[in-house]
Amino acid sequence: MAILSALLWTPALGVLLLAPISGQRHGLIRQISLAATAGAFLLACYLLFSFNAADSAMQFSEFYPLNPKLGSAYALGVDGLSMPMLVLATLLSSIALLASFSIREGVKGYHICVLLLEFGMLGVFMAQDWALFYIFWEVTLIPLFFLIDRWGGKRRHAASLNFVLYTMGGSVFMLLSLLAISQYDLEHQGSMMASMGQAAQSMPVLEQVLVLLGFLLGFGVKMPIFPLHGWLPLAHVEAPSPISILLSGILLKMGAYGLLRTVVMLPVAAQLLQPVLLFLALFGMIYGGLLAWRQRDLKAMVAYASLSHMGLVLLGIATLNQTGFSGAILQMTAHGLIAGGLFLLVGLLYERTHTRNILDYSSLVQVMPRFATFTTLTLLAAMGLPGSVGFISELHTLIGGFQQWGGLMVFFSLSILISAAYAMRTIGLLFTGPVKPQMQRIADLKPVEMMASGLLVGCIVLFGLLPAPLIELSTATVSRMMVVIGERLP
Amino acid sequence: MDACWIALLPLLPLLAAVLIGGLHFFNFISGEPDEAVTSRISLTAIGLAALLAIALQIAGFYGQLAEQHVLGNWLNSGRFNITVSFRSSGFNLSLAALFSVLLLIVMRFSVNYLHREAGFHRFFFILNLFAAAMLLLVLAGNAVLTFAGWELAGVCSYWLIAYAYDRPIAAHNATRGFVTNRVGDGGFLLGIALSLIWLESADWQIINQSATDLTPGDATLLALCFALAAFAKSAQVPFTPWLARAMEGPTPSSAIFYGGVMVHGGVFLLIQLQALFTQAPLVMLLLTAMGGVTAVYSYWAGLSQTDIKSSQVYACSAQLGLMFLECGLGYWQLAAWHLCAHAVVRCYLLLTAPSILHATHGQPIRPVPQGWADCRWAFVISLQRGWLEPALDWMLVKPVQQLAKDMRNIDDRIIDPIMGIPAPAIKSISSLAQWEEQKLGAKLDNDMDSFARGSGLAGKLAQWTAALMSWFEYRFILRGIGRDSISWGRRLGRHANRFEHLLLSPRYLILFVLITLMVALGYAP
Repeated sequence: MAILSALLWTPALGVLLLAPISGQRHGLIRQISLAATAGAFLLACYLLFSFNAADSAMQFSEFYPLNPKLGSAYALGVDGLSMPMLVLATLLSSIALLASFSIREGVKGYHICVLLLEFGMLGVFMAQDWALFYIFWEVTLIPLFFLIDRWGGKRRHAASLNFVLYTMGGSVFMLLSLLAISQYDLEHQGSMMASMGQAAQSMPVLEQVLVLLGFLLGFGVKMPIFPLHGWLPLAHVEAPSPISILLSGILLKMGAYGLLRTVVMLPVAAQLLQPVLLFLALFGMIYGGLLAWRQRDLKAMVAYASLSHMGLVLLGIATLNQTGFSGAILQMTAHGLIAGGLFLLVGLLYERTHTRNILDYSSLVQVMPRFATFTTLTLLAAMGLPGSVGFISELHTLIGGFQQWGGLMVFFSLSILISAAYAMRTIGLLFTGPVKPQMQRIADLKPVEMMASGLLVGCIVLFGLLPAPLIELSTATVSRMMVVIGERLP
Repeated sequence: MDACWIALLPLLPLLAAVLIGGLHFFNFISGEPDEAVTSRISLTAIGLAALLAIALQIAGFYGQLAEQHVLGNWLNSGRFNITVSFRSSGFNLSLAALFSVLLLIVMRFSVNYLHREAGFHRFFFILNLFAAAMLLLVLAGNAVLTFAGWELAGVCSYWLIAYAYDRPIAAHNATRGFVTNRVGDGGFLLGIALSLIWLESADWQIINQSATDLTPGDATLLALCFALAAFAKSAQVPFTPWLARAMEGPTPSSAIFYGGVMVHGGVFLLIQLQALFTQAPLVMLLLTAMGGVTAVYSYWAGLSQTDIKSSQVYACSAQLGLMFLECGLGYWQLAAWHLCAHAVVRCYLLLTAPSILHATHGQPIRPVPQGWADCRWAFVISLQRGWLEPALDWMLVKPVQQLAKDMRNIDDRIIDPIMGIPAPAIKSISSLAQWEEQKLGAKLDNDMDSFARGSGLAGKLAQWTAALMSWFEYRFILRGIGRDSISWGRRLGRHANRFEHLLLSPRYLILFVLITLMVALGYAP
C-alpha cells in the first residue's frame, strides 16, 4: 500500500479539485482545501501510529525508477528524522488554513498556492532521491513567491524578490554539490540518497569539504545560518501571517533537514568544518537574540528569534554526537510548534488591531485573557522554560555541546539569557502596564482560533511534560546515523 | 489486592479534600447553606477510612495481611528506585486505625464547632488533606513517601495555625512554627539522602535491616539526622516553643494536630527506626537526655501557665519528652503504648478544654507546693519559659538576618550596578501602580527611553552590542546584500539593454553583416 504517495498527493489532489471551481465560491474553496490538509494530517497521524520507532531503516519505502541511466527514481521513505517533520508539516498546514479566514482577495489562488506549498514540503521530507529532493525543494519556491508577492504587506515585492533570489542563489550551490558527487561512480542500487552517500566516500577530502560548503550555502540560506539570513526578516514581516507560520514552522526545517542528511553523508568534511559550524551557530544565536531584543515590530522580533533558535539546530548538528543530533531534531519540532504558535498569535492580534508595534500595546490581559494565556505560554516555551518542549530540546543540545566543547557553551547560556530578556519584555509590554483606551475594545479569541492555537500550545506543553515519545521517535535513527558517521570517519 | 485497600486509607481523605477544594474553588459550594455538603463528604471519607483501617487491623490480627505492599514505581533515577509501597506491620496499621478514629471524632466535633464560621469549607479542606497526610505518613513503606506525608502535614499545620490569617499574630506564629519544623525537615532530607547513598534504598525495612552493616559512625550520623527531624516535629528542646505558638488555630485543629496526631510523628519515626537507633548508642543517649530535659522544662514552664490551652501544651510536650526518654532507654514497646494512650487522652482534653473551663469556672487552680512557690528565680524562669525562644533568636535568627542584610548590601552596591537593576515591579507587574505613577507625573514608563535599553554594566554591554549588530544587519545584510544587489542587478540589466539596442541599430547591423561577409569571403577559397 502506497501510503506515502497517498499522503504526498493528497494536497495535489486538493489543487486539482480546486482548479475547476469558480473563484467566487469562497466557502467551497475553503472547505475543499481544509479537507485536503486535514486529510493529509490524518494520513500523517495514521503513518505515525504505524511507524515503528525501534526500526532505524527507511520505512514504507516506495521505489519506481524514473531515469535508470542517471539512477534517479521516484523513491519515498520515512525514518525517525522525517517522521516528526511530516506530522508537523501537515499539522501546521491545517492550522495555517484555519488562520486564513481573513484572506478575502484571490481566495482560490491563495488556497491553490498553499496546497502546492504543502505538496512540495511533504515531498522534500519524503524524498529518498537527491534529484527528487531537488525538484520538490524548488517546487516550494514558486507558490511561496506568489503568496508573498500577492498577499503580503507593503513591501511585499521587495520581500518576495529578495526571498527568491536568496533561495535560488543557495540552491545553485546545492545543485553544484549534487553534481559534483554524481561525477563519481554511483552503484545504482537502492535509492539515490544511499548510493550518493556511498559515492561521496570515494571523493578526495578537499572536494568533500567543498561539496559540504556548497550544501552549507544551499541549506544555510533556507535554515537560515547567520550571514545568509537577509531574506528572513523581510519575508517574515511581509508575508501574510498564515504563510509566516508555514515559513518559520516548516520551510526553515527543510534547510536543517537537508543539512543533517548531508552531514551524515560527508562526516569527514563536517568534522573539518566543525569549528566553523560552531562559530556560526553560537554567533547566530546571540546575533539573532540581540536583534530580536531590538525589534519593535512583533513579527520581526519572532523572525529574529527564529534565527536564534535555528542556530540552536545548527549547534546540535555541529556536535556530531548522539545527544546533539537528538537535540537538533527535537529543536526542529519544538521550534516548528513555538514559532508557528507565535506567528499565529501575532497574526490574530494584528487582524484585530492593525499594528505590530509592541509599544502600542498594553494591558491586554484584561480584554484578551485567553490570548494572553496562550501567548505567554508560547513565549515562555520560546525561552526554554522547563515544562515546555523548548526546554527538552535546549537541554539535549546543551548536553551534546558540552560533551563536545565544554566551557564554550557559556555562549549558549548567554543566548538563552537574551531570549529570556526579549520574551519577558514582550509579555510585560503586551499584557501588563497602564490601560490604554484604544486597546480596550479588542475581542478575545474565537472558538476556531482557540482550537488552532490551543492545539499548538497543547502540543508544546504536552511534549514538554512527556517528552519520551517524541525522543524515542528518532532515537533509533539517530543511533544509526552515529553508526554510519563512525564507519565513515577514519 | 491488599495493597489497594491500604492505599485507599490515605486516598479517601485526599479525594474528599480535592472534592471540597474543587467545589469550593469553582464556587459550587460556599457559605452556610452548603456546610452540610462539605461535612457529609468529609465524614463519609474519614468514616470509611476508619472502618477500613479497623477491618484491615482485624485481618492483620488473623495473619491475613502481608507486611509490605508495593503498588508501583514512583521515581527512577540512576541506581535509585523509589517505590510506592505501604507497610502494614502491626504498629503502623494500629496507629493508622487509631489516628483515623481520632480524626473522625474531631471532624464530627468540628462540624458543630465551626458552624457559621467564614472559613468552614477551607477548614475542612485542610483537615481532610491533613488526614491523608497523616495516614500516608504512618503507612508509607519508604522514607521518601513518609516525607511527603510529613511535609504535607506540616503545611496543613501552617495553614491551620494561620486560620485567622487576617490577624498578624496568627500569621506570624504560623510562620514561626513552620520554619522551626523546616529545621527538622532538613535532618529528614539529609537522612533520606544518606540512606540512599549508603544503603541504596530509602525503604524503612531495608534501612532497619542493613543498619547493622553500617559502621558505627555512619549509623550514628544517619540516626542523628532522623532524630533531628523527630525533635522538631515532636517539639523537644530546643524546638519546644513552636508548640505553644501553634495554639493559635481553632480548638479542634489544635486537638488533632498538637494533642492527638501530628506531634506524635516524631515518636512514631523513632519507633519505626528502632533497629537503626539501637545501632547508635550515642544517639540513644541524646534521646534520653533531650527527652528528660524536655519533660523537666515543660513541667517547669507549665507550672506558671494560667490559660488552659498553654498548660495543656506544656503537659503535652512533657509527655512527649517522656516518650523520647523511654525510646532512649530502649523501652520501645512502652513508648508505643504511651503514644497511643497519650494521643487519645490529650485529644480528649484539648477538645473539651472550653467545657473544662466552663465546668471549673470559679474554682481556683491547685497551687504549687509552698517550698517551690517561695523560689522566685524558679518562678521567673517558668514565666519566661526558660528564655528558650530569645536564646534561639539570638543564636540563629539574628545572625541569619544580619547575613541577609549584608547580602542585600552587596546586591545594592555591587551586583546591581554591574548586572543592571531589575525592572521595577511597578513597571511590569502591577497595572494599577503604574497608572498611579503616571498620574503623579513620574515618567517611569517613557517608552522611547526604556525600549531595548539596559541598565548596569551587563545591560549597557548588551545594548551596545545589539546596536552594533543592528547596524551591521541593516548596512550589510538587509541593504548591502538585499537591496543593493537588486539595484545593481537592475543597473546591469539597463546597461545590457542599452548594449542590445546599440547592437540592433542599423549602422551596427550593417557593419556586422559586412564583417560576416568578409569573413565568409576570406574562407571561401
